[in-house]
Amino acid sequence: MTVTQAHPRTDTAPAPRPRRRLVLEPYLYLLPHALLFFLFTVYPIGYGLYISVHRWDLLNPVKAFVGSEFYRNLFTPGTPQADFFWHTLWNTTFFTIVSVPLLLAAALGLALLLHRPIFGRAFFRAVFFMPGILTVSVMGILWRWMFDNQIGLVNAARDVLLNAQPIPWLSTEGLAWVPIVVGTVWWTLGFNMTLYLAALGNVPLSLYEAASLDGATPWQSFRFITLPLLAPVTLFVFVTTALASFQLFGQSLVITGGGPSRSTQSVIQYITEEGFSNSQYSSATAMGFAFGLIMLIFTAGQFSIMARDVKGN
Amino acid sequence: MPRDLPRFVLLCVLSVIFLAPVYWMLSTSLKSEADAISLPVQWIPTHPTFDNYREILTSPDGNILRWTGNSLYVALAFTVLHVALCALTAYPLARMRFPGRNGWFWLILSSMMIPGIVTLIPTYIMMLNFGWINSYHALIWPGLSGVFGVFLLRQFFVGIPRELEEAARLDGANSLLILWRIILPLSIPALATLAVFAFMGSWNNFLWPLYTVTDVDKMTLPVGITTFSQRYVTEYGKLMAATTLAAVPALIAYLIAQRFLEAGLSTTGLKE
Repeated sequence: MTVTQAHPRTDTAPAPRPRRRLVLEPYLYLLPHALLFFLFTVYPIGYGLYISVHRWDLLNPVKAFVGSEFYRNLFTPGTPQADFFWHTLWNTTFFTIVSVPLLLAAALGLALLLHRPIFGRAFFRAVFFMPGILTVSVMGILWRWMFDNQIGLVNAARDVLLNAQPIPWLSTEGLAWVPIVVGTVWWTLGFNMTLYLAALGNVPLSLYEAASLDGATPWQSFRFITLPLLAPVTLFVFVTTALASFQLFGQSLVITGGGPSRSTQSVIQYITEEGFSNSQYSSATAMGFAFGLIMLIFTAGQFSIMARDVKGN
Repeated sequence: MPRDLPRFVLLCVLSVIFLAPVYWMLSTSLKSEADAISLPVQWIPTHPTFDNYREILTSPDGNILRWTGNSLYVALAFTVLHVALCALTAYPLARMRFPGRNGWFWLILSSMMIPGIVTLIPTYIMMLNFGWINSYHALIWPGLSGVFGVFLLRQFFVGIPRELEEAARLDGANSLLILWRIILPLSIPALATLAVFAFMGSWNNFLWPLYTVTDVDKMTLPVGITTFSQRYVTEYGKLMAATTLAAVPALIAYLIAQRFLEAGLSTTGLKE
């Protein structure tokens, strides 16, 4: 992520006059956060590695060393861990593949509709953004009701408009993804739209004027001016949206509970089940590391965008 | 304007679609359970009633006002501490020269690559060891190790002209005074953005409090609401009254902070 510079940046910091008695000063400023950083970011990684190679039983003070057993479980066909981990990882991947393009394309579409002045623009912006401020359990319960098997709004509308039988969305494999995906798009579209609107505001109008003087059609202007200039923001939106989608948890937990028969269970939900419901802390920690390794693709992308911002500007 | 008419109509249609779930939530919350599931569907409640609200507000299974208060306390405490910690850390990283500055900055920045799921279980076991399960400490302290705010403020602090600081230094101001009197007042927009994000992040936090605070009286709002979801299952009148009540503080906060939130999203996004 990057930050708009409010002031012209002075190139290099002039070295403050060396004053011996103040040499500790910067470190004292860093200390409070550094302590928390070591305690809650660095230490848990090492502690987690330790837990994952032992059999962690809260009731048993002796934590037996088991080496890579819990990692190997994930690659041993037939163990529930292997079955459910890969199954729920696929579920999560499926959700990401379906929702990310929707969340990019629809957000860009809304931003294009809204970036030129129009009557009621502020109102429309607020309407599209507002669902995003709801907390996940509110959003989840609402969409569970919208897609209720019998008389949710969707089935009610089908009854009124099409005189059609209700569809049991929530308890049909495959269809159970519909409320989760639709609800998520409704919920998070406004964030991406806002990012696109900000980026569109930065496209110089003179480019369009020049293009139209040269006889460019609106489509050509869009294709050859708008889209290329939106590439950086699109990369950013893609990375953050994919990252958020891969961490699917609350929506499916509240809307379907992960069902029917784990068909919408996300990998994070499964890891928490293994850890907190089954008290298999070591196994869950190993899964956390395995899944974390996969997520690194996206978090590294996010990091490189931020790093570019630190160095560039 | 007539050229814009199709665009305007399209926006109106989309707005109706976006608002429909919210209208449905309000409408259902005002119906008896029988009316809520009756066919043909009642778009407007025929016998509007506040019974659901009364029942939710006096529910013996959980106090939604208390959950709101809990969430408010946790989110405020977290926000104040987080902004203070980030400012203290970003200040020397942006404005001082000392051995290890860049190394430390890149080290904490690269920790953003560690997905939260990696530290979830180990941190939970730490909470068990600390005796912090069912304590707000668990909801406040671990999150304070976050570094995005450090990055955000550092980027902003770097851009503040040095002349102001030099002048104050010649007048004998120490670094703490410079931070307090010069850097922070000039950074209000960045601080407000960070505060809004920190507050929203803490308020909406779901997974972590779901497992660390299981005592009904101590739950935060998002987690508390799910206990209603399990208790009332398909009694949607009551559920919608509960979700409406839970949405109200967020809506009020949004109306107050809208400016900072949207400006913050734009500036923390891509400058282009």
